Amino acid sequence: MADSNAPKPSSSVKLVLLGEAAVGKSSLVLRFVNNDFQENKEPTIGAAFLTQKCNLPTRTIKFEIWDTAGQERFASLAPMYYRNAQAALVVYDLTKPTSLIKAKHWVAELQRQASPGIVIALVGNKLDLTNTGPGGGGDADGAGAEDSGDARKVTTEEAKTYAEEEGLLFYETSAKTGYNVTEVFTAIANAIPETSLKTARGPGASHAGGRAEEQRVNLNGPRDSNAKEACAC
Amino acid sequence: MQAFSSFVQKAQQLLDPSQGLNLSDSDRNPSKASLFQSQFRLPSSQHPLYEITAELTIPPANATQGDRDRDRGYQYAGKLHLSEAFLCFSTTPSSFLQSASTSTSSIFTGQTHGSGPSGNGFTFPLCSIRRVERLHSQNFQFALSISTWNGISQDAAKEKDRKDLREQRITIQLAGSRQACERFCDGLKKGLRANVGNVGKMKQVTAECYSEYLLRPEDKKNAIPPDAGLGMLFKYPGDPKKLRDRAKMRLWAEYLRDNGRNMTLLRQPTFHKLIRVGLPNRLRGEIWELTSGSLYLRLENPTLYADTLSKFSGKESLAIDEIEKDLNRSLPEYPGFQSDEGIGRLRRVLTAYSWVNADVGYCQAMNIVVAALLIYMSEAQAFFLLSALCDRFVPGYYSTTMYGTLLDQKVFESLVEKTMPILWEHLVKSDVQLSVVSLPWFLSLYINSMPLVFAFRVLDVFFVEGPKVLFQVGLAILRINGEELLDAADDGAFISVLKSYFASLDESAHPKSENPKLRAVTKFQELMVVAFKEFSGITHSSITELRLKNKDAVLNNIESFAKRTAIRNLGPDSKLLSNDELGALYDRFYGVLYERQQRDRIIKQELARRAKSSRSRIAEAASEGGHGIEKGRVGLGPSTSLMDYDAFREFLAGICKWAISDAPSTPRRDAVTEKEKGFYGSFRRSDSLLSPWGAGSEPADHEFLRRLFQKWDTDSSSALTLQKVVSGLARIKGKRDIMGTINYFFELYDDDGDGKVDREGILRMSEALLFLSRRGLEGTLSPSNSTLTLSGEGANNDQGDVLGQPVSERFLGSVSAFIRRCFEYADPDHPSNQDSAVQELGDKLASTDLKEEPESEQLANPDAFAIGDDDDEDDLLAMDSPTSSPKAAAQRPASNQPPPPTIQLNSPTTQLSPGDDIAARRRVSKAQSEKANIALDPSNPLHITLPTFRMVVLADELLEQFFESAFPASFHLIDGIAGPTSATTSTAASPLTTFSSLGFGAGRAANPAAAAAGQGPAAFGAAGAAVAGAGGAGRGLRGVLDNIVTDGMRVAAEVRRRMEEAQRELERNALPGQQSQQQRGSGARDDEDDEDDEELGAPPGAGSAGGNGKGAAAAAAAGAAGRYAYAYGGDAERRSVRSSDRDLLTGADAEASDAAPVGDVPAIEGGVVGGGLGEGGSSSVGVSGGGRGRAAEMGTGKVVGIEFDG
Repeated sequence: MADSNAPKPSSSVKLVLLGEAAVGKSSLVLRFVNNDFQENKEPTIGAAFLTQKCNLPTRTIKFEIWDTAGQERFASLAPMYYRNAQAALVVYDLTKPTSLIKAKHWVAELQRQASPGIVIALVGNKLDLTNTGPGGGGDADGAGAEDSGDARKVTTEEAKTYAEEEGLLFYETSAKTGYNVTEVFTAIANAIPETSLKTARGPGASHAGGRAEEQRVNLNGPRDSNAKEACAC
Repeated sequence: MQAFSSFVQKAQQLLDPSQGLNLSDSDRNPSKASLFQSQFRLPSSQHPLYEITAELTIPPANATQGDRDRDRGYQYAGKLHLSEAFLCFSTTPSSFLQSASTSTSSIFTGQTHGSGPSGNGFTFPLCSIRRVERLHSQNFQFALSISTWNGISQDAAKEKDRKDLREQRITIQLAGSRQACERFCDGLKKGLRANVGNVGKMKQVTAECYSEYLLRPEDKKNAIPPDAGLGMLFKYPGDPKKLRDRAKMRLWAEYLRDNGRNMTLLRQPTFHKLIRVGLPNRLRGEIWELTSGSLYLRLENPTLYADTLSKFSGKESLAIDEIEKDLNRSLPEYPGFQSDEGIGRLRRVLTAYSWVNADVGYCQAMNIVVAALLIYMSEAQAFFLLSALCDRFVPGYYSTTMYGTLLDQKVFESLVEKTMPILWEHLVKSDVQLSVVSLPWFLSLYINSMPLVFAFRVLDVFFVEGPKVLFQVGLAILRINGEELLDAADDGAFISVLKSYFASLDESAHPKSENPKLRAVTKFQELMVVAFKEFSGITHSSITELRLKNKDAVLNNIESFAKRTAIRNLGPDSKLLSNDELGALYDRFYGVLYERQQRDRIIKQELARRAKSSRSRIAEAASEGGHGIEKGRVGLGPSTSLMDYDAFREFLAGICKWAISDAPSTPRRDAVTEKEKGFYGSFRRSDSLLSPWGAGSEPADHEFLRRLFQKWDTDSSSALTLQKVVSGLARIKGKRDIMGTINYFFELYDDDGDGKVDREGILRMSEALLFLSRRGLEGTLSPSNSTLTLSGEGANNDQGDVLGQPVSERFLGSVSAFIRRCFEYADPDHPSNQDSAVQELGDKLASTDLKEEPESEQLANPDAFAIGDDDDEDDLLAMDSPTSSPKAAAQRPASNQPPPPTIQLNSPTTQLSPGDDIAARRRVSKAQSEKANIALDPSNPLHITLPTFRMVVLADELLEQFFESAFPASFHLIDGIAGPTSATTSTAASPLTTFSSLGFGAGRAANPAAAAAGQGPAAFGAAGAAVAGAGGAGRGLRGVLDNIVTDGMRVAAEVRRRMEEAQRELERNALPGQQSQQQRGSGARDDEDDEDDEELGAPPGAGSAGGNGKGAAAAAAAGAAGRYAYAYGGDAERRSVRSSDRDLLTGADAEASDAAPVGDVPAIEGGVVGGGLGEGGSSSVGVSGGGRGRAAEMGTGKVVGIEFDG
């Protein structure tokens, strides 16, 4: 399937969401997948799995989204989920500086432990709680009447600088208003090199299922050993 | 408070050392008590005391089963067990006698009975038994008739005439020898008596049980029902009609009426059947409580929940923050949790539990589980049930590492592999990770996965039959969906198959079937059947076995993950260290914490044991019963990741020789090397655990350690995280660049961060240098002096001059030179001068090897300084010049008598001023010191800046090497320090040891005095100074040696001997010195003055009293004095300092040249030394130093005295 270069090829991309608890990971996904928002979303236990397609001019990307639990103690489960991920959304809360620190940890973890070449996007969520962000959150802010005060604690510059240093995509979003959410995913889709898709699903892929776009290749050899190395379970 | 309670908890849990410390052993050989407890779901306070084979007869009135033998009632053969507070009967033949094999004790589920873990029978709290009568039996057997409090409320008990009361009465025939029966009955009698007092408690507890309301007598028709969960307010989930709730309730009412309720319930086969078909809403909470055993926990401590809440009300914690985040998102679809009422309950239960079990705190998923519980039970009930869950049902699921969760995933995977090999193969092939799917099932007990009504059905069974139910259901889910799952090629497909399955659980399992009965079977019913029929082979023991098998691997994985993550997240500083170093650091860090924890525990245990020894019987029983919640391994959830100061010392003692105390320590076993292999294991077998430091050497306690700790403790929380430790070490060890290390050292003493270190700091620095070097220096030291061995034993002399002069001794010299130079160059007011002077000096010094340098050079230096100084300094210079006239200074006969120049320098006599009781002597001495050192003037603060410090360090080869390599190298991160340090350092170590102890003592003593004197900072300084002085003196002597050595081996040897002597004397004399100091302390003078006084006092005393060899004493005193002097001198212009220094130098030189027979060199050194420490001590110090050497030579006190006077 690596060679399937039909017009508008479709390929699936495993994407994992990481970040501190209650920064809005699940809400981002919900917004992206269902264009919906729930004020009180149940905390994710272990991880949730969702899929959504993303249409690019030249191809279609089907995201297989692993939305992980954010609480610190679940961290040891994370390797199970980011295993073989080709993309990651590392989310922090614009109103909580500690969440950016945690995000940095995740970035470091991914850079060293996840598949090489993983596309990472740093996402500052809850833009709706800030005054019009420099990123132009204004258009999105109409929704939050209650959020008159600026709760922003992490400046765009700070996060952006960090993102640039580490070579991450960077967005500030609001899952609540939907601002920038699709953009993030689209950007990721664009950032995933065609070649990586090909190589990722290239040699050694086991075509166990009929749907080519859903197949993933185990980059790291036999599943077992890989699992043992990569995760703590 | 929290800490305390958790300590208590830990202590309780770990009464049995084999359980607490040895993970695998406790797993493999769980104590009989713990098996007993889990079989009957009893609190961990219970132990099997007696057991006997027996036959239970439930009279017809109580029998639900009408089919058989109505007249005789229902009979069960089984075993009767007695614990401290419970009488239990079970048809499962398990035995908990000590003699019983483990397998007999661990028969959990009599599958034949299709029953729960404890088979048919009962679990009566002794307090629920109202009366026991012995019946006349036919065949000489013991038969007991037991009647209970069942259904007898307090007031009803009083009106005994109530007719509608059906007393619950059962008969038990004991089968056993007469003796055995009697023993058992005696035990029972005792137990009953002991538990009479708990009847009230029991009634209080049962009052919250819905069954009491359900079965209430007619006259209480209008009673308010007890809280049976949020469901009473917000409706229970599901359609009651569909659930046939009413019918179920009827059946239960009937069963409970016949068989007793809550505490006094008899388990008969119907009981289990009724549970399998699903509990009625209002009884659900109570039955959960009963079957899980949390009811007994509540009985033990009915007010724990309320007490905990009130005790911690208003307190904050991380767990609470985490809980708050999730309150609004726990079963949000249930109306009760959209209300403040429901959320309030949830908050309180979770919070209370997080306080009670702080190690677990709060884990996401607990919110969901507790929310579910709260639908059916009161807060208190849910609280205790949560405890039972976390401790017994799913241990480790919610711990900080979630090792229980991960472990059970492994177990589940291996079960799948075993029971469904084809599916397993498919999973492997298509790279689907099963636990991705199944983990949430287990973690939230299916509550999050299935529709609530079904999840609760699973829970119904789960609480009776235990965690194996989770596995059985999980396997059944996979089995039922096997075909579709085989088509699923990836995680996504896999998940969606299961998702849709769960959504359709209420649909018919066989929608197309012709048979209407079959069609009526729902998928959920099918699931239950498959789970409990097809996978009936999955038992508690098979699960336990698999858990055991996988435990180590899981823990290791967690630990390596934790380590990896921790190391990665250590921040940028960590990059300065190699990965190996970080790894080793990590191990050491947690090793120390773990070790300390274990020790703590054992010590507590020991204490508890002793405390309990009076009640030996109980103690014995208790020690056997720790429920074995293992701790300590990182994988099990680090109980602490903070290192306090003591732990820090211990940590350092593991990697730095100098951090080991000089006090005679317990022989050091090679704990370090053992630790390398596995620090988790190394402590289990060790014997010396009761010492506060375990088997390791006792760590030193030195101001330097404290400073280091504070420096590393960047947020002043009095605790170091691994990150702080790494950052701290990285700055010392990471760069390996001398400048960095020098800067670091400087910063360590730059308390206010203004880039200046004052007099006090300088003295402390020198102290620290001595402290750090007292076991010898490490790393590559002066190649030129290759002869010098680190330990200082090997002293050979390449250069002829050095005979047996160990590096450490040379280092003494270096340090004293360091001090001297520091003072010379300290002049904040004239930076330019300073700089130039400094530079000059620097050059010179650099070229100067202390030992090798002839005095001449040093002499030259002072001049240079003098030149450097301007106007004011001129005076000083002038002053100096006289002083500098070496001979004069050196030869000053009486140490007490300040040379005239000194006096002048001291001009700030004010300080000296009015010693109330201070003897003239003191004044003199002060004067002396001051004379020597304008630097001593407190009104003239002086400081050195980083450049100065750097220069001074670089000026000395040894110091340079120290900072370049020895100091960083002294942290042995990877290999630790092996072998008994004390032994290796032998010669060098012993005198140093004395010194240090002396020094510390002196320092401490001095402190108060100084404080009293009134100058805050100075006071501290003074104390420190005293210490340093003492130390310095000792070292100074050594420095002197260098010079002397030139004379010859004989001299050197002599000197050495002398030194040791002196050291001893120092010790002896130090005390008096301190005392005197304290006395003086009262004096109005500055601390410094006081200190000076001390010194002065001491020297004279020593000199006069000691006479000769007392050189040592004198030296010590002088040293101390010197320090003070320095401190004081500060005020005097720096120049004065310099000049005084010069004086010292000159004096020293003079001494050297004059007094020292050997020659100039030694004199210089002596001067240096003396100057360094005692400098201010005034000439006295220098003198002492020099004198010391001399003294050695001369052998007599006079010499000493003379030199001192120098």
